[in-house]
Amino acid sequence: MEIGIDVGGTFTDGVLMNGGRVAKWEKAETGDDVASSVRRVLEMLLAGIDPLAINRVVLSTTLITNLIAQGKTDPAGLILLPGPGVNPQDLPFAAPAEVIAGAVDYRGRIIEPVDPAEVSAALSRFLDRGISRIAVACKFSQRNPALEEEVIRLIGDEHPRVRTLASSKVSGLLNWVRRANGAVFSLQVADEYSLFVRQVSESLDRLGLKCQVCVLKADGGTVSLQQSIHQPLEGIFSGPAASALGALAAGGEGLTAVMMDTGGTTTDLALLLDGRPLFSEKGAVLSGYPICVRSMAVASLALGGDSAIIVENGKVALGERHGKAMCLGGPRLTVTDALVFLGASELSGRERIIPALEEMSRSVGLEPRVLAEKSVTIFLESLEKKLEEMFAVWEEEPAYRVWQVLSGHKERPRTIVCLGGPAKGIGMLWGRKKGWKVLVPRHAQTANAVGAALAKTTLRLDFFADTQQMVYSTNLGGLHGALEDPLPNLEAAKRFAETLFRQAAGKSDPDNVHSETLYEEGFNIIRGWETMGRIYQIGLQTPPGLRAFLEEEVGSGE
Amino acid sequence: MSKANKTGLIFFPAFDWAISPSHPEREERLLYTRDQIFEEGILDDPGIVEFKPRLAEAEDVERVHFCVPNVNSQTTDAHLIAAGSALKLGDALLNREIKNGFALVRPPGHHAMRVVHGNRGFCNINNEAILVEYLRFKYGIRRVAIVDTDVHHGDGTQDIFYHDPDVLVISMHQDGRTLYPGSGFVEEAGGPGAFLKTINIPLPPGTSDEGFLEAWRRVVRPALAAFNPELVINSAGQDNHFTDPLANMKVTAAGYGKLTEELNPDLAVLEGGYAVETALPYVNLAILLALAGKDYSHVIEPQKRGIVLRQSDEVDRAIKRVIGYWEEKLGREPPGKDELFAGKGLFSRSRGIYYDTDQIYEQQRESVEYCPDCPGIYQVESRAKKGWGESSWVWCISVPLYACQACQEKAYKYWELETTSKKDAASRPDWIYLQDKKGNRYLKERG
Repeated sequence: MEIGIDVGGTFTDGVLMNGGRVAKWEKAETGDDVASSVRRVLEMLLAGIDPLAINRVVLSTTLITNLIAQGKTDPAGLILLPGPGVNPQDLPFAAPAEVIAGAVDYRGRIIEPVDPAEVSAALSRFLDRGISRIAVACKFSQRNPALEEEVIRLIGDEHPRVRTLASSKVSGLLNWVRRANGAVFSLQVADEYSLFVRQVSESLDRLGLKCQVCVLKADGGTVSLQQSIHQPLEGIFSGPAASALGALAAGGEGLTAVMMDTGGTTTDLALLLDGRPLFSEKGAVLSGYPICVRSMAVASLALGGDSAIIVENGKVALGERHGKAMCLGGPRLTVTDALVFLGASELSGRERIIPALEEMSRSVGLEPRVLAEKSVTIFLESLEKKLEEMFAVWEEEPAYRVWQVLSGHKERPRTIVCLGGPAKGIGMLWGRKKGWKVLVPRHAQTANAVGAALAKTTLRLDFFADTQQMVYSTNLGGLHGALEDPLPNLEAAKRFAETLFRQAAGKSDPDNVHSETLYEEGFNIIRGWETMGRIYQIGLQTPPGLRAFLEEEVGSGE
Repeated sequence: MSKANKTGLIFFPAFDWAISPSHPEREERLLYTRDQIFEEGILDDPGIVEFKPRLAEAEDVERVHFCVPNVNSQTTDAHLIAAGSALKLGDALLNREIKNGFALVRPPGHHAMRVVHGNRGFCNINNEAILVEYLRFKYGIRRVAIVDTDVHHGDGTQDIFYHDPDVLVISMHQDGRTLYPGSGFVEEAGGPGAFLKTINIPLPPGTSDEGFLEAWRRVVRPALAAFNPELVINSAGQDNHFTDPLANMKVTAAGYGKLTEELNPDLAVLEGGYAVETALPYVNLAILLALAGKDYSHVIEPQKRGIVLRQSDEVDRAIKRVIGYWEEKLGREPPGKDELFAGKGLFSRSRGIYYDTDQIYEQQRESVEYCPDCPGIYQVESRAKKGWGESSWVWCISVPLYACQACQEKAYKYWELETTSKKDAASRPDWIYLQDKKGNRYLKERG
């Protein structure tokens, strides 16, 4: 059996899955101490269950986001080796930065050495400011991490107790700002996160759980809890991924749909395309800073079930949340109340709404039904606008090859999957208006926890090789080295990359050695009229997906 | 309406397209540019917005070119995407989604002339000309300036607008006596109806940032100010760079950045530039930053360290001479159209055109009619022989966008006459074309 736990802002949900069946689900309020919320839910789930029957626990938490939002982080600094290019002052770095000499070019060649005196001076300025965690970012360090490593060695020699992290250890992709910010945030949350992992590990031990424990990632894969200590950002923004996996688990393989997750104050829209969530093209943004985490493309609308119906300049509008819906005893009329009045919600308490609705109706000179319909229409129109924006971004994704431009037309989904309490009522109305199919998973309330429980362990390899210089590099903790084989063609390069992939996969999960190609490119390096070598870039990953699909199917409309 | 403050970018490196595997116009050309621009993180800047490329339609090409025998046979998908990308940015500009834009695309286009028998100077169709005619047709714009800063003379663009008084074509390039395509001399200054709407500034080999910027400031800038265009388009070739393998200039990324900042084009379209490692990553970045109003002073090529890029005194004198020529020429009232046609109803000229890439020699006889009310009907008869193989013979009639109704009607009469000719097959061209820019129609028929 598998356990999935989703730590949300208000509640922590947990499910016990038996293959494709939800055997049990539990819920506790999320307290200030996230680890103890996790423990409470685990205890409830395990009551009367043999812990040895559990073979996997997957956690999805907002811990890191909360730590950063609440400023519960340790200060970190950034040493930058920009080399030629954009003025670093124009770039959004997430920490105070010191710029020093030293540069690597696009092919990983060192074009300017590091000056140890500058490193030392930068270091003492940071120490003077009370900063003893330092991220080091050099442009093109994923092609050659030598300068970052040199700076880190120099810092270590001078101040062994300063904590350092090289940006090349955090990500292998192009975009040094995102790598640098990833390293900064990783250092900032490192201590708090290790504490969390230790506490969770202790709880697991006490509960007799000996199984594999993983953290859900923003791309819907998982990483082991122990491994996540070194890459704390891997677990960030996993909420939407958990929802997407939950929706896919209910909707079946190859689902193409718009996912709508409606809470009290917000509604998130995401796209599921042929069984896979759509990712934001460039990566995630954390506290306003771009970071190197691949996350889903989510469009958020500041409207939810508890959005108040208000009258503004004699017109019906939607405003902020002031509490629960009136039908549940809340202070004001809300979107949920409108749905209840219109018979589009399973909630009761219609009689509580009527006096307030009639009074508001009189003030704007509308029938109560028209007023309720109008407020729902405003909601639906906002959703429609957001969805259109989302489609536009998806359809406008840049293309760098002829075939990508020619394979142009993208088929839009015609299904809505509704998650979260108020989503069903809104979703049904929206679907009817658009003539779309509406899916409401039976376990809509716990979709996130289900999604976490069913997530696969994943691995991604970004491989780069330059056969003129006979070097290669990867994203796997900065793994790089000299090539022995000249890799005469793309097939040879792929074979080599696949070997590296299998070695890395074997370490974490032996049954996880199959890979699919994310991208592959081979360029001849021509100088004069001669081929001097080749440049390869290959991306491999374990095919994303689910370990199982839900058996008892969904409630659905239209 | 809120003023757009974003710079639009279409990056289309055509990583799966080449003229031939080892040709300068190959897959690798923009690889390091991609690496540099992506690595910088600058595409996350909210001031820069990336668009997806699209294909241009045959209609967009036919508004500019006479492709022999048709658009399909002269273009690949990559050509249509490069041109289409420029159109897409043009739409975004005119719809005020962006304040300016950079079509960082290949293949290039500025050597493609009106009549296209094949590829010359790595170009089949002219991206900027297709852009200009599209925007003029679609948005009712009239006066456009194209400033070509590629090291090679933009002879294709010059040819297409040579008789159009509403399009100012300025090319700064390495002197045609020292470089392909061997043209772009000061004497080529526009047809009688568009005199001084073509301005060529041949610069001597060895020109550095200093001379490049001086020519811009003293000739191009005042000429633009006097013309007062509604749109300025930059043919942003990058082969004036000091490391370019095909040319001999000494311009740096900083020089290109400065020029872009001061020129402030509405749209820039990449042309040539073949120092794929040493120039393109840096020059493209500098141009993008300059368009986005950002600091490009840190974009310093590693190769620049420790070398002197000053131009010699001799070069300096040669630059001053050409600047002096234009200052004098543009400072005077130019002769009018009536004077230049000198009472004749027709201006005509014959010339030979060389296609280096496809090894074609084309012979043309072109003519423009005098019309007091409009630029007049343009006709060209063209014969081309490809290597030792087939030759083709075409007759083309073009109605200018701002033609008067009488000329437009007359052009259709010429078409009628040509296509119903009773001459024997051997004395008739293979193809006859009518391009009606005013009516947005394109007719073609076998002779």
